[in-house]
Amino acid sequence: MNISWDHFTAFAIPVLISWLLAIITVFTSKKRWLNNIFTLAGIVGFATFIVLLWISLDRPPMRTMGETRLWYTFFLSTIGFVMYVKWKYNWIKAFSLVVASVFIFINILKPEIHSKNLMPALQSIWFVPHVTAYILSYSFLSAAAIAAVILLWQYKKQRETTTLEAFTDNLVYVGFGLLMTGLLIGAIWAKEAWGHYWSWDPKETWAFITAAAYLIYIHVRLRESRPKKFTLWLIIFSFIFLMITWKGVAYLPSAQGSVHVYSE
Amino acid sequence: MNKNSGPWWKAPWSYKESFAVVGGLIASGIMLQLSIGNFDYEIIRYPVNIYLLILTLIIVAVLTLRHKSHLFQWLAAVPLSVANISGLLLYSIIMGLTMQAPANADGQSALGFDAVTRSWPFVIVFYFTLLNLSCVTARRLLNFHWRDYAFYLNHLGLLVLLYAGGFGAADLRRYVMHVEEGATEWRVYNEKDDVLELPLAIKLNDFYMEEYIPKLAIIDRRTGDAIPNGNPQMWQIDTTRTTANIAGWNIQLEKYIHEAVRKSDSTYQQIPMPGSCPAALVKVENNVAGFSQSGWICCGNFAQLYMTMQLNDTLSLVMTRPEPKLFRSDIEVYTPDEKTYQAQLEVNKPLRVGHWMIYQYSYDADAGKASAYSSFELVYDPWMTWVYVGIFMFLAGSIFLLWEGNKKARRKKA
Repeated sequence: MNISWDHFTAFAIPVLISWLLAIITVFTSKKRWLNNIFTLAGIVGFATFIVLLWISLDRPPMRTMGETRLWYTFFLSTIGFVMYVKWKYNWIKAFSLVVASVFIFINILKPEIHSKNLMPALQSIWFVPHVTAYILSYSFLSAAAIAAVILLWQYKKQRETTTLEAFTDNLVYVGFGLLMTGLLIGAIWAKEAWGHYWSWDPKETWAFITAAAYLIYIHVRLRESRPKKFTLWLIIFSFIFLMITWKGVAYLPSAQGSVHVYSE
Repeated sequence: MNKNSGPWWKAPWSYKESFAVVGGLIASGIMLQLSIGNFDYEIIRYPVNIYLLILTLIIVAVLTLRHKSHLFQWLAAVPLSVANISGLLLYSIIMGLTMQAPANADGQSALGFDAVTRSWPFVIVFYFTLLNLSCVTARRLLNFHWRDYAFYLNHLGLLVLLYAGGFGAADLRRYVMHVEEGATEWRVYNEKDDVLELPLAIKLNDFYMEEYIPKLAIIDRRTGDAIPNGNPQMWQIDTTRTTANIAGWNIQLEKYIHEAVRKSDSTYQQIPMPGSCPAALVKVENNVAGFSQSGWICCGNFAQLYMTMQLNDTLSLVMTRPEPKLFRSDIEVYTPDEKTYQAQLEVNKPLRVGHWMIYQYSYDADAGKASAYSSFELVYDPWMTWVYVGIFMFLAGSIFLLWEGNKKARRKKA
């Protein structure tokens, strides 16, 4: 059977429906196996398309923007599933499936991007894991920033917060683990593509700033039983650095000429 | 921070003493910077960096032998780590906000803000962080537990990475070499554009290139800009979905030839050769303007003229120059020990020869796939193996962190 992009919608619709059911049941049903089955059905269906496309192209589908999006969808849903099994956070499953679905929608609704070309430097097996780790890291660290704001507000109201404190710490730990995974994969890739693993390119510098800020939070917390207000503010500042790294670098005057800014 | 209310400088030292010491180191760094300028990595080139590394390890070993001393306890504790990371954070923020001078040029800033990695305060805090991290790791290794595996991987991995990256920065060399097809070359250019001779020689057997299918665009001939203005729409030529619409102009692709050569009658035929270029036969219609025409469009290259289709007084349909999809050099590398290595070099597929890495760097962009030469970047980094050891340990530690989360949060609070 010769699979091509023309068959994509036929695979994508059932996948989207099963993930929609997974998102609904994760919030409405107490039976975890139910939403896990819907999630897995979608992942298996989607993986089938990738495998068949790979076979019919006779090369890994990793050369165009549309092909790259296939892997985002696959890894986001898979890692989101594993993270849910491990940590049982409803929102992480919902988030990863929603973002995975967004990539499917882009591929259905803007078909011309299947042939949008990747420049040679981006054609690498490290591209997809690098970006996937960051997308998931941003979701955990965004959740941590929201949790920090809620904690600060509850401190003001002098409410009991022990559970949320532990939850916040865990979000930062897992988010930081993903952040470092993305960064180190990036370093390995940079050595292969650009000749050096760390060049203090503006994007790299801001990634270092972000990592250092979260590291300060993690270390300060080791000596506190309950986070001080200042410590919670560290999460919020770190998150601002994260946003600068992600989106802000392109606008910084100091970053003109960064190799990480891919403009059309 | 709870035990930080005692008098200054009374053991055990905590946050305020740690920040004071790091602040003092930064202050002395600033004074050095103002008096003698940037730190010159050349002075710690091999073998000096090896001596420094051994000296550092001896210092750490001596401190570890006296692990009950207040000094070691302080060097191996959280407050100093926080102070050191804060110092690095401060200088990296300066770096992130200031345009950095290239590696081959001296900065203009007296405080070294435009060459932060070469400024004394940064170098000193970096080295002190190494000492700090070494003692932290040593203390935990003295009290070894298998359950701390994520801690060891993260801290040891980072330690190896920072040692190899920091001391190794002095030995890193990057050169660019241009080789003509069929020729053998051993001369390279360094970052200052000096010509040097290397112990390695590279022969370029063949340069091969593939290009993506180009796009069609409608341009305003008066300005050369693609329309609609400000948000140009280009059509990526697609041989399966053969119709497109750009700003009201319907385009129907009738034929596409990737390696085309023009015939005398202004049509094109497929001839794969260095001077060939993409060409497309298209039918363009615009009902509003009452326009309908078929014709060949070609983007042209160094060997062939481009071909466009005039749509009205100002607009023309044109083909963009194709973007590179893959470029590959078939090379042979000769080393001083008379070994020969053969490789197909591509972007993202470098060749490792001893401590050298050889990269596909560039080619003659004007000639494209007919480029008569290929350029390589040669990177010499004898510390690279240790850098990889550090990266992979740290990476493993990070992945375990995903699984472990915050252990303290799951245990009952001690």
